[in-house]
Amino acid sequence: MTGDLLVIAQIAGRRCALSALDVKSVIEIGTITPIPRAPVWIAGITALRSQALTVIDCRRALGFGGGSDGTDWATDHRAAVVTDGGHSYALMVDSIEDITTAADEAGQVPGGFGPEWSRVATGMVETMAGPALMLDLAALLAGPEAARHEIEAAV
Amino acid sequence: MDDLLADFIAETREMLEASGGELVAWEADPADRARLDTIFRFVHTVKGNCGFFDFPRLASLSHAAEDALADCRAGRREPDQQLVTAVLAIIDRIALMIDAIEAGDEFPEGGDESLIAAVDASHETAPSGSLTGVKEGSNPPLHAPADAMLGTGEEQAAPYRRADAAAAQRTIRLPVELLDRVMSGVSDMVLARNDLAHRLRQAGNQPTIDGPFERLTTILSDVRDAITRMRMQRIETLFGALPRLVRDLSAELGKQVMVDLDGGDVELDREMIETIRDPLTHLIRNAVDHGIEQPSARLAHGKREIGLLAIAARQSGNTISIAISDDGRGLDEDRIAAKAIATGLITASERQTMSRDKILNLIFEPGFSTAETVSNVSGRGVGLDVVRQNLEKVGGSIKVTSVPGQGTLFSLQIPLTLSIIAGLTVDVGGHRFAIPQSYVEEIVQASARALDFTRMGETALVTFRGNRVPCLMLGEVLGLGTCEIAAREPTLVMLRLASGDLFALAVEGIHNHGDLVVKPLAPAVMRSGLYAGSTLLDDGQPVLLLDVANIASQHNLMSDTRVRAIGPMEGEAVVTADAPRAMLFTDFAGRRSAVRLELVQRIETAPASAIDRSAARPRVVIDGLILPLIGLPEEALTIARVRLLRLSDGACELLYAVREVEDAVELKDALHPVPEDPLAEAMTLIGGQPVTLIDAHALFALHGEPPLAAARPRCVLPDGEWARTILAPLVASAGYDILPEGTNDPAAIGIVFDDVFEVAEALGRALPARVIRLRDQPDAPPGCETIYRYDREGLLAALSEANRAARVEGEAA
Repeated sequence: MTGDLLVIAQIAGRRCALSALDVKSVIEIGTITPIPRAPVWIAGITALRSQALTVIDCRRALGFGGGSDGTDWATDHRAAVVTDGGHSYALMVDSIEDITTAADEAGQVPGGFGPEWSRVATGMVETMAGPALMLDLAALLAGPEAARHEIEAAV
Repeated sequence: MDDLLADFIAETREMLEASGGELVAWEADPADRARLDTIFRFVHTVKGNCGFFDFPRLASLSHAAEDALADCRAGRREPDQQLVTAVLAIIDRIALMIDAIEAGDEFPEGGDESLIAAVDASHETAPSGSLTGVKEGSNPPLHAPADAMLGTGEEQAAPYRRADAAAAQRTIRLPVELLDRVMSGVSDMVLARNDLAHRLRQAGNQPTIDGPFERLTTILSDVRDAITRMRMQRIETLFGALPRLVRDLSAELGKQVMVDLDGGDVELDREMIETIRDPLTHLIRNAVDHGIEQPSARLAHGKREIGLLAIAARQSGNTISIAISDDGRGLDEDRIAAKAIATGLITASERQTMSRDKILNLIFEPGFSTAETVSNVSGRGVGLDVVRQNLEKVGGSIKVTSVPGQGTLFSLQIPLTLSIIAGLTVDVGGHRFAIPQSYVEEIVQASARALDFTRMGETALVTFRGNRVPCLMLGEVLGLGTCEIAAREPTLVMLRLASGDLFALAVEGIHNHGDLVVKPLAPAVMRSGLYAGSTLLDDGQPVLLLDVANIASQHNLMSDTRVRAIGPMEGEAVVTADAPRAMLFTDFAGRRSAVRLELVQRIETAPASAIDRSAARPRVVIDGLILPLIGLPEEALTIARVRLLRLSDGACELLYAVREVEDAVELKDALHPVPEDPLAEAMTLIGGQPVTLIDAHALFALHGEPPLAAARPRCVLPDGEWARTILAPLVASAGYDILPEGTNDPAAIGIVFDDVFEVAEALGRALPARVIRLRDQPDAPPGCETIYRYDREGLLAALSEANRAARVEGEAA
């Protein structure tokens, strides 16, 4: 909504916006303990004081694979801490840019944003720092498998 | 005043919850004085409190109910269905009024009189003044019967009163958030203590600090225990409301249902009770609505008219299991399958391969609801998928089993969520994991050889206290790959499951053990089924807590019938049992062969130097036994160690040298006989490759022989200090085992003093077959085969002579 505070971050080379209300803090990411057999978009867990955060690799959570296209972007040493359903997550992004205010409502663009982005994006939002893709936190945290299930169900 | 009012509301609520169940129980058994007393106390308390707060309507309602109940207590009136319903209606009205008072609303006027009249309707034997007494709101007429009752019933009521006095503890009411804050504070305190402990260890021993630190530790663990108990609540608080729920439901649906509650004393985290309240209610609604049939239908099927709904809670280790079973019509597999296909959950072809249990458990899938008509009772847009979701949110699970026509059983597994547990941290593949201490039976560190570590197909087995125990490689379970060294020198954590099953978890090393503050994990991580939570180590490193029970059940190690019946392993297990299995290997001729698995005792590894090829047939000494060896190449071995299959037909054993042991496989393909090769039972295909199956009969006929003890020669020594201290070391260093005198071993060589020998011979006592006689004098009397006892060379020569004779005799035999 107009006037809402947004955290602007780069994910997979695109400018994205998260509601500042969702973002509890921005932390320096420490050692990440990997979780064997966990979905690939979960990078591991890291400690924040006495709390364990699940580290989400946002690029993979969107459904972009690693390898050639994954190494194109640098990863910020900072991560945005969010909570969803009582669990805390640290979002690993390319970079955290700014906190700014939204200039209008999130709106659609003709042609959509592409399959990976459409799943997690509520729309395009104009901000003081330029246009950004407004992200739906719950959809992002659901991971790329959620989309695949939906597609399978539709087929 | 506001505080007092809030207390009144809270107290009344609590009693309301408890009395609902009591009322139904009382209705079922009107003679039950304890129940009647509880309900009477409730209305009596409400009435008393109302007077204090000036709620005239509440007062008159509770007054009327109290009156009626007092009559029942005094025996002036028999409690009947009508009375119970009327009292329930009043209690419901009281609950509504309490809600209104709390919200600060005005409760709508009217309706009270009819309720009061209903209680009074069947009040034939009551004193005529009772109702008017209520209307006037004067106390004397009311208290008279109550007092009278108390006066006459004093002795009778005494037992109940004593129980009440014991149960009545001084309590205070606290907001749950405050408890949570204290709890997390204590959790952080434990972390801080652990950190301090870590630093103290690094700094070395400091007696001035260690003492107080120990005290701090003790105090902290006491506080922790108390806090944990503070958060625990008996599941009774949840069960209390259920009889009323079932009663109302069954009345609404025209069914007759009896509730059987069990395990109310099981304690559960307060929050957990709140979390399962709705799922449990939903399942009970379902059972009464869909499960239990109409009385007429039940009679037609030869069942009792009254349906039975049993709810039982059990604590097993770190989980609470709640079973909700009804004896209704059971789940309709075909209808569920049809519905699942219609909603696109599964395809028709998938349905063909699915077991009944898997189909039944589809009812928990999102978007599934079999009830065709949405009734008032169940199916209010909340499906069983929500039930499962809610349970999974707290790390629980739900499963259903059902027998058509006999009933349905829902089993819920809920973690205790004791947020601080004792745990063990282990290392594997560079990662660190925690295991709840409660599962750990023992830690075993030994070589694979000592543990008798064997691979049977995909399953590894170790021998622990004489039992073969399945062994999981933690590295493999977690997909980290396993390091060969770890497999050879594993550290085994023996884990005992709640079901009593034991299994071993092979890890690379034990890191530490101590208190772990367990925090929940994100649902996406929980879904892997391997982890129960996360925790922070002393150094602040986060570590994952393994879900031991789930890992065991994923690998079919839990002998719980419920678990065994579920999952895709069932079908495979049947196949495994049917197909004969064989050990696949490559021999030194490069031929791929197989030998039936039952013959393989174990796989041995022997150094090439241990093979004795001097005789016509090569032999190897293993575990003190000389065993024949076959399968060796003609030329000398180039490798340092040889893998040997130890085969046994029960009596005879032989070793088969192989170049490489591949795997245990199933003999699924047809066996083609090979008459031209006497040592081959058949040819078969394994993984598309031809393999020779060794003919065990021919093999043992040719090479089998009972194992020969390769033990050292034995020697029986005479009694006495001299023999023990001077003779025994000499004989032992010559390579003999010493047996105590009197041992009757025909193969042993006896050393005796000549005088003893003569006496024994004269008396006809049993002597060893070969005897060396010793004499005390250096000079031998002529014609006597004795050796002077300090004649070292003579003695050793005699020993080896006797030993040679014994061996020749043994081989001839």
